[in-house]
Amino acid sequence: MWMAHSSSPYGARRIALACFALLLVALFIFPSQIQGLLQYLGGPVGYVVSVPLEAVASIDSSIADRWAQYVALQGVREENQQLRKENEWLRGQHSQLRESAAATERLTALLNFKEQALPTMIAAQVIGRDATNRYRAIILNKGESDGVKPDMGVVTPAGVVGRVVKTTGASSVVLLVTDPNNAIAALIQRTRDEGIVEGAQRGLAKLKYIPLLSTLRDGDRVVTSGLIGDFPRGLMIGAITRIDKEEGALFQSAELMPEVDVGRVEEVLVIQTSYGQSAKTGVGADPPEKSVP
Amino acid sequence: MKFLFYLALVVLLVPLQTTLLPHLSVWNIKPDLGLVAAALVGLFAGELEGLLVGLAIGWILSLFSAGELWLSLLVNGGVGLLTGFLGRQVSQVTAISLGAGVLLVSLASGLLAAMTFKGFDTSQMWWMVESIVFPQACFDGVMGAAFYWILSRRFDRTRLRTE
Repeated sequence: MWMAHSSSPYGARRIALACFALLLVALFIFPSQIQGLLQYLGGPVGYVVSVPLEAVASIDSSIADRWAQYVALQGVREENQQLRKENEWLRGQHSQLRESAAATERLTALLNFKEQALPTMIAAQVIGRDATNRYRAIILNKGESDGVKPDMGVVTPAGVVGRVVKTTGASSVVLLVTDPNNAIAALIQRTRDEGIVEGAQRGLAKLKYIPLLSTLRDGDRVVTSGLIGDFPRGLMIGAITRIDKEEGALFQSAELMPEVDVGRVEEVLVIQTSYGQSAKTGVGADPPEKSVP
Repeated sequence: MKFLFYLALVVLLVPLQTTLLPHLSVWNIKPDLGLVAAALVGLFAGELEGLLVGLAIGWILSLFSAGELWLSLLVNGGVGLLTGFLGRQVSQVTAISLGAGVLLVSLASGLLAAMTFKGFDTSQMWWMVESIVFPQACFDGVMGAAFYWILSRRFDRTRLRTE
């Protein structure tokens, strides 16, 4: 606890007030230009900040690995048995799917479908979470210099994670599928009804604008429709856990359990070019690190 | 020397806030150390340094967040400026008064952010205030008070301002 003093010159106070007033006026008159300029200047600054950020993330990840490998091994035996059972079931599913794939291949050849280009993807590591609590976002260790741009889709082999909203030179921010500010065009795999997936409370997602006549039910799988944004068609988003049908409403909505546990995701793939876009957008872009069918 | 200290503070706040603090979060809520740092710099070093450091913190942290840049700039810059004035005008600044001030600023910025969210209805807004904005404001207030208490035992505010 101290007594106040007034030793500092009045000039500093005036300058501070003038700077703040100027900033307020500039943000009010030219909001997008100022934000665009600061975002542009943030590109090179991102390189500087990414050095300690990646160092801390790497230490953090190695500590987490050691914890997972040596300390948190309680209950591994039970988990192992459960996984063995799951593995057996998946083997059965795999053989069935191989049969289906072979049949699809034959039918595709029969129908003489045009061969589609595979999407090109950039592998990236999660090095942090959003700096605030208000957004559900993750930070990746790949940025503009690696070819990552805003609005690119981000996935794991299990399904959709989110989309890139900001980039600096060496990092990018991905808004997760569970954030209420995110919107992804989707369809119900079984009924083929389309809707929009938005984030919801408690880390879930919501499928909105489903036609009233849709015969959706609990457990139905929801995938990307590929109509809007940079996601190709057919990527898994989640499964329906609850249906909301209000009387007099024009549409139904449903609660989704996301397929990817976005709270624990560590490595992701950024979709650089979607199906059939490789030839168009691939020119001039940096060579992709990984190509995933 | 001071410049290097501020540079290190701003650069190191990013890994602290984005990588380390999520492990120390309580009910998935982590404090906004950028806000606390801007408030303390303003209080100890005056309004001009508080404003400039607050703006730098707001800008850099917004590069690593999905949030709006203008809100981050105004809140962090504003709190640095405000605590600079507070340190000069209020006769006795205590840890509790600073904590209460940080709590109010955090609450106001959280409400402003919630209002800028697109398509939020009343129930979603209330949920956000109840489960994110208010707990975070309390957390920020406690952190602000704790850091001020520690720093005030170690450093003389008058000396830092006139250095």
